[in-house]
Amino acid sequence: MTSEDTRGLPESIKIGVLYSRSGVTSAAETTQLQATILAVEEINRAGGVLGREMELVCLDPQCQPGNYADLAEQLILKHRVHLIAGCYMSSTRKAVIPIVERHNALLFYATPYEGFEYSRNVIYTGAAPNQNTLPLAGFMLTHFGSRVSMIGSDYVCPYESNRVMSDLILERGGEKADETYLPLDARWESYLDVARRIKQLAPDFIFSTVVGEGIPHLYRAFAHVGLDPYRMPIASHMTSEAEVAIMGADLAEGHITSATYFQSIETPANRLAVARYQARFGEDQTTNMCWEAAYFQMHLLAQAIRSVGSDDPTLLLRVLPGLEYDAPQGRVRIDEHNNHTYLHPLIARVDSLGHFDVIGRAPERVKADPYVVSHTTPRWTLKAQADVERTGDRQ
Amino acid sequence: MKHATATPSILRDLRSLKVVVIHPQDQDGDELLAQLQRIGCEVTVFWPRLDCLPANTGLVLMAVRPETLSTTFPWMGNANSPPIIPVVTYENPITIEAVLQLNAFSTIPSPVRSFGLLTAIAVALTQFRASRMRDRYIERLEQKQAKLRVIQQAKQIVMDTRGVSEEEAYQMLRSQAMLKREQIEILAGEIVKARETLSF
Repeated sequence: MTSEDTRGLPESIKIGVLYSRSGVTSAAETTQLQATILAVEEINRAGGVLGREMELVCLDPQCQPGNYADLAEQLILKHRVHLIAGCYMSSTRKAVIPIVERHNALLFYATPYEGFEYSRNVIYTGAAPNQNTLPLAGFMLTHFGSRVSMIGSDYVCPYESNRVMSDLILERGGEKADETYLPLDARWESYLDVARRIKQLAPDFIFSTVVGEGIPHLYRAFAHVGLDPYRMPIASHMTSEAEVAIMGADLAEGHITSATYFQSIETPANRLAVARYQARFGEDQTTNMCWEAAYFQMHLLAQAIRSVGSDDPTLLLRVLPGLEYDAPQGRVRIDEHNNHTYLHPLIARVDSLGHFDVIGRAPERVKADPYVVSHTTPRWTLKAQADVERTGDRQ
Repeated sequence: MKHATATPSILRDLRSLKVVVIHPQDQDGDELLAQLQRIGCEVTVFWPRLDCLPANTGLVLMAVRPETLSTTFPWMGNANSPPIIPVVTYENPITIEAVLQLNAFSTIPSPVRSFGLLTAIAVALTQFRASRMRDRYIERLEQKQAKLRVIQQAKQIVMDTRGVSEEEAYQMLRSQAMLKREQIEILAGEIVKARETLSF
């Protein structure tokens, strides 16, 4: 797949990959990179596409938006690639969009983001706010109360998530107890200050939009000041298995995450994909929402290439909208009109082993609505399957 | 930006916004329609003529092209007509002049891209509302100004005829108005009129 001797074989189909292996969000991005490699190896083992192998050209942007732009251009001009998987934070996607639009390349973006975007040159396979923030807000405001402390990383996505949350809190006559934004590279002491303040304010729950390396800091600070996650959990749509693996189950237990995929979900597709992933990259590897989107989007791409018999972006864009795939989370579908993906929203709580225990799920897959401004809470979040435990082993 | 603020009402109301698009069905027209539908507006497309605007139209997007330059839209320019966002294909003086005639607050350049439409709509609606409010405010100020002028004239007449100070003249006008249960500017108007009638 990488630099093997391919003389005499038909030319491979090259896919550019832009996930960071170092930097603030590299933990999640590394899993996206490995998911991409896994999917492409699966595709190639099954005979490739159009009798050709898929070949990855992986470059490391080190979490710097400028690097994503430069490397995207390098992929297109030097490596003659016009299909790219990658980007994580919105700033990195915004940097790459002008380049894929100028060269008519196609970006596959596998991370939840804040919505309000459509580019014909981007396929969005991560959740839009109506697929993660909204269910989380409905669930938390119903089960824990509407006095909320908000803490986020200081960039665009957290502000937008907090706008959605603020609107829903105000609609219910609730109250924002606190709203703090910390720099992406903030040190653990800053999180400790916030945790101390939150302890004094005693809100009903904490809404976290912290990303990357800040997540373990936040959860550690929370435990350090002696807060009980079963009474006052941190609710997040970004804290995944990748971060739980770093911080450890004891810090994560009891906290709540909304996502369209968890490693723990029981679908045959998920069990098989996780088994293959661990066999390939190590038994200790965990999967997460960004991993899953990065994984299934490669299979959707392969399916699209087979369907049009070409890897030309213009032709692919004729079949990608409307395409469906049995992803680990369940059957997903690329929307015909907005290039986003129908996904399966879930709410889960971390158990004592560090696994996400699903405590709420949408009855069916949900269409992405990236431009929705006025949110109405999904009905399924208003009634839980069972009472949400307010105590745990960890006391 | 320090805190997430409540969502602007203009954006909250977009899903009930009735948008009229006056644009031919071409690549730009398709892109406009698709993006408006992604945003979630209620859209109706007309081309090239539109003699009567559908009820409750909140916004018009109009291609400014040689074809539209010669078309007249009877509903345009009256007090209740909605804001117009021109979709501009040419930048020659004649087209720019036509755009200026529309009193536009924002424009959409051709070729149309999905990005930028939402901001253009938000700016146009916000500035249009602000401009309407300013017009109404100016109208009220002008009315108030006219009243003050009449009261000032009446005061001068009382001062001249009764030989009293300005303050005394005003108090006299005020108590007369209260006695007759009239607004002071009405009484002042009568005095000014009476004086005009007498001065032959």
